[in-house]
Amino acid sequence: MNEYIIETNQLTKSFKGQPALRGLDLRVPVGSIFGFLGRNGAGKTTTIKALMGLLRADGGSARVFGIPVTDADGSIEVRRRIGFVTEDKELYPYMTVEQIIRFTRPFFPKWRDDLEQRYLKMFDLPPKKKIPDLSKGMRSKLMLLLAISRGAELLILDEPTDGLDPAATEDVLRELVAIAASSGTTMFFSSHQLAEVELIADHIGIIDQGKMVVAGSLDDMKAQYQRLQVVFTSSVEMPSRWVEGVEYVRQEGRVVSILASHNVDAIVEQARALPGTAVERFPVTLKEIFLEHVRSS
Amino acid sequence: MLWHKGWLETRFRLLFALGFGASYCIAIHAIKAPDGPSVGKPILGVAIMMTIAVAAFSIMLSGAGIATQPSFQATKGLHGSTLFTLSLPVSRFRLLAVRAGIGWLEMAAASAAMCCAMWLVFPPLRATATPEEMIRYTVVLIVCASGLYSVPVLLATFLDDQWRLFGSGIVFGALWWLSNHTPLPASANIFRAMGEGSPLITHSMPWTAMAFSLELAAILFFTALKVVQLREY
Repeated sequence: MNEYIIETNQLTKSFKGQPALRGLDLRVPVGSIFGFLGRNGAGKTTTIKALMGLLRADGGSARVFGIPVTDADGSIEVRRRIGFVTEDKELYPYMTVEQIIRFTRPFFPKWRDDLEQRYLKMFDLPPKKKIPDLSKGMRSKLMLLLAISRGAELLILDEPTDGLDPAATEDVLRELVAIAASSGTTMFFSSHQLAEVELIADHIGIIDQGKMVVAGSLDDMKAQYQRLQVVFTSSVEMPSRWVEGVEYVRQEGRVVSILASHNVDAIVEQARALPGTAVERFPVTLKEIFLEHVRSS
Repeated sequence: MLWHKGWLETRFRLLFALGFGASYCIAIHAIKAPDGPSVGKPILGVAIMMTIAVAAFSIMLSGAGIATQPSFQATKGLHGSTLFTLSLPVSRFRLLAVRAGIGWLEMAAASAAMCCAMWLVFPPLRATATPEEMIRYTVVLIVCASGLYSVPVLLATFLDDQWRLFGSGIVFGALWWLSNHTPLPASANIFRAMGEGSPLITHSMPWTAMAFSLELAAILFFTALKVVQLREY
């Protein structure tokens, strides 16, 4: 089997001449929990729609389970193996909770009745209630139930915890991790909530202006990225060129803040070589990595 | 399950269409039929009114492409649940075929119900047409309406619901005008086949017009299919 469950190469897409994706290279490893991050309009939903076969890319290629998503029959097979939560969480307004479950079930041969019952109870979803009478949080939970119960190999979740209160968010995240751990389901989810991504994701991709600006294992990223604080005792001229690995340098008076993505020891050495300096190393959060990459791009 | 979903989406439209047909029948019932040689005129009137009714049924019941919109709500743009529908492992051909199919069945049922009701409430019709002739007329009406029905099906693939209603009315008007002002053989005129050329008046089947209507329906349906296959959501 392929190492990557989702693989795109130089994917491009424009809307009325406005580029939404500019050569996106995305690789989601099998069995990973992949957090897909980006600002509003960065191209996250466009990427997800292209993977689901809802829109066609202008250029490049996209494969899910090794199947090209542009192939009509292949796209049906891909959708049979995917659980999907849409960004707006809209479902048929004329159906009740139990009707939409009954409607969805026959399309998926691997439908999990046990999970359906478990989440009906856990999310406290009223079976007889019509969908428009549910709160946004309840609709999010219902969509998650419909996605998870498909018995999917891959869950594509567009802002899955949108509208949920903190307690429900916690429950949902815990369940997603449990599902990934117990059944080996790959999870590809977009979110604005960096804290929740940091909590459950093991891989990260940051997209900005339609391009992947950073991607990889979250642990590796956290191990490699460090923030260095350099304090000068007197006025010193900064080096015009730092060694490789420096992502940004910000100076405020005699304090210089450096974000390093790799090669940290060499950067520390270069900083210490400056006269009258004290260098301290700090671990970075995902938020810092995200903000710096998005700002600099 | 898609058929059930289609039924839930269109059942109120069907109810509205049947209500519209019932009010039509009441209006026809009130017409005082003349005696003697002019007895054919109200029959022609009934046939023309039936043509207008099935055209209206076609517009009402043709659905909204593969977009999901609440019944009777002329909403703008795609309803968000369309994305949920498109995430199901189903081809766009099947989605469109089911949506168009259920609307066509409802249109056929409403047309047949109206023909039955007309025969019952309008004595001159009973006096001139046997039940067999009425059945033949119903078949002609449904087959000829199929060509018209495919127009709003096609328009629904790229227009919002409210524009589909107006657009269908305009296209039907244009088709009617063209059928009377172009050198199209009278035998292929589907409007004529439902009115003055119908079995109620001529006592024969307008096979050419029926074939023409089915051909038109097939062309428009496959054009609609191409549109939904190429469309991005």
